[in-house]
Amino acid sequence: MSPRLRVLLLGLAALVLAPCALAVIAAMPEFGTAIAPYGARINAVAPAERNIANMVTAINFDLRGLDTLGEEFMLLAAVTGTVVLLRGRRGERDGDRAARLPGRAVVPRSEAVILACRIAGPLTALFGLYVTVHASLTPGGGFQGGAVLASACVLIYLGEGYAGWRRGVRSAVLDAIEGGGALLVVLCGLGPMLVGAAFMQNVLPFGTFGALLSGGLVLVANLGVAAAVTAGFSQLVLEFLEETRAPRPDGADGGDDA
Amino acid sequence: MSVVLPLLFLLSAASGTLVVLVREPRRQVFALSANGLVLALLFTGLQAPDVALSEIAVGTVAVPLIVLVALGAVRTDRPGQDAGSGENV
Repeated sequence: MSPRLRVLLLGLAALVLAPCALAVIAAMPEFGTAIAPYGARINAVAPAERNIANMVTAINFDLRGLDTLGEEFMLLAAVTGTVVLLRGRRGERDGDRAARLPGRAVVPRSEAVILACRIAGPLTALFGLYVTVHASLTPGGGFQGGAVLASACVLIYLGEGYAGWRRGVRSAVLDAIEGGGALLVVLCGLGPMLVGAAFMQNVLPFGTFGALLSGGLVLVANLGVAAAVTAGFSQLVLEFLEETRAPRPDGADGGDDA
Repeated sequence: MSVVLPLLFLLSAASGTLVVLVREPRRQVFALSANGLVLALLFTGLQAPDVALSEIAVGTVAVPLIVLVALGAVRTDRPGQDAGSGENV
């Protein structure tokens, strides 16, 4: 498409859409004034009936838990698709060193980087766990905690280098954690049905308001989501790292499912 | 508060424009990361700490890291080909 045609298309689209957008913007309530009635209702229901202090968690994992279940499987499908696309013919074997350009010098990591990552990695992981288990109390939850945990996993790669990382972080283990996490979320839905309740009904005791173990089933679902997100993001980084590694010429990669 | 919010809106527009204007992929990653950080501050200012945390975790850390890792891995494992020749593929 030529630049001229593009500008013409932009002009046409703007001509049609701009009046509609302006009409909507003019009809919007003033910035920061209106609070939707749904918000007030949640503020009343969540602390009183579920003992949850964080309303966003109350919506995501209890009142609209079904949406989170769907999102969970969207993530699972996206990661699976990316892995299938990137892995291609390469197989699951891991090399003993990272792929590199022939002739390009390999610059060793400085000791400062290794030290910084060895200090920051575990602390980041701890913070991720903290964010996950405090889902019903403070901002955050399974998804945010999982993303922080996956960042800690990447810090291990920065600190220990490719070989150390591949020894510590196994692709098959990541698969198991990701699938297991998604399974746990599904079981949070099906489990209540075993005792005669509705799908994803919060049947566990709610605990005391403001305590770590409050909110019942919410904490379990959060742990499942955190596991799936951690392993999913780590798996993505792993696959992007390995993307350009050529398959071995003897074909040992293809049938090898180590 | 009345000064902070408009400032953050302007800052997010500026950093977003910067992401588009920076053409070199490695620098663009850092522009994207900075934009994520500004957005996280904006969300915090708008009293949405959960969204801000997601934005930091995904927009500021996870996505830039994945892009950096991919840039590091791209075109490094093709013997007999120099780095410049694959540019226009």
